[in-house]
Amino acid sequence: MNAVRQAALILVAALIPALLTGAFHHDRPNWSEPIAPGEERLETILSWGQSVIWVDARPEKEYADAHVPDAIRLTLEDWDTLFPHFLDRWDQKKKVVVYCSSTSCQLSREVAERLEQNGIPSVYVLHGGWETWKAQGGGVKR
Amino acid sequence: MNAPQTRSFMPTLRLAIRVVLAGIFVIAGAAKAYDPAGFAIEIQRYQLVPWLIGALGATYLPWLEMIAGAMLFVGRLKRGALLILTVLLGLFTWALASAMVRGLGIDCGCFGKTFEATGTFVPFLRNIFLLACAAVLWSEH
Repeated sequence: MNAVRQAALILVAALIPALLTGAFHHDRPNWSEPIAPGEERLETILSWGQSVIWVDARPEKEYADAHVPDAIRLTLEDWDTLFPHFLDRWDQKKKVVVYCSSTSCQLSREVAERLEQNGIPSVYVLHGGWETWKAQGGGVKR
Repeated sequence: MNAPQTRSFMPTLRLAIRVVLAGIFVIAGAAKAYDPAGFAIEIQRYQLVPWLIGALGATYLPWLEMIAGAMLFVGRLKRGALLILTVLLGLFTWALASAMVRGLGIDCGCFGKTFEATGTFVPFLRNIFLLACAAVLWSEH
């Protein structure tokens, strides 16, 4: 039997314990991506309706290219300049949702922490960030 | 070293390489099969595939490593096992190189949480060495 056929046999053989692992292992992975504390999925945020203030924590150029409609730009770099603008638009009855580029970026988490340190309640981070917003067909303002 | 001595040395070297390579994959596979949820998170840290693909890989790859390693060790379906382990080594080495190029400060995750974190550079060098070992085994065929 040649190497490829032998390999195919092994590939199939490994499927059996893998399926059992996926079905019964006490530490099997979640099939949907787990989210970190303080993050919310886009579907959940959209279910909040109009009671959301969006905060864009990405660099200025990316914000200028496109952003969530009505999102307020707020970064640690330009905090002193931008935070007063945020306060002008902030409404205590609304939830604040911060986003950056994607799942891997940290900017939204850092801005969310800073907002909480400044006494802003109900601050959340959008899981997946701008990439998720775009991928799920969210409106875009340029 | 003259030719007859080389000929008698090579089978011993190949046997040693086969045992070591097979052993590494069986141990690595077993460590990850014990904690597939943890392995799924390790895969996600490479930021190369969507979560679901990583989760499916985390349940399948450890068993593939173990079975291919065991087959190589016992000498049944040896060439197929060697083919799989070579492809896996190539894939893992590419993932490590990609993580280094992108500056991800992650751990290899090659042995689950069995050993201390070693970053990506040392495992990358180890994989290059193991690929060279696999090349020696291929030279037999």
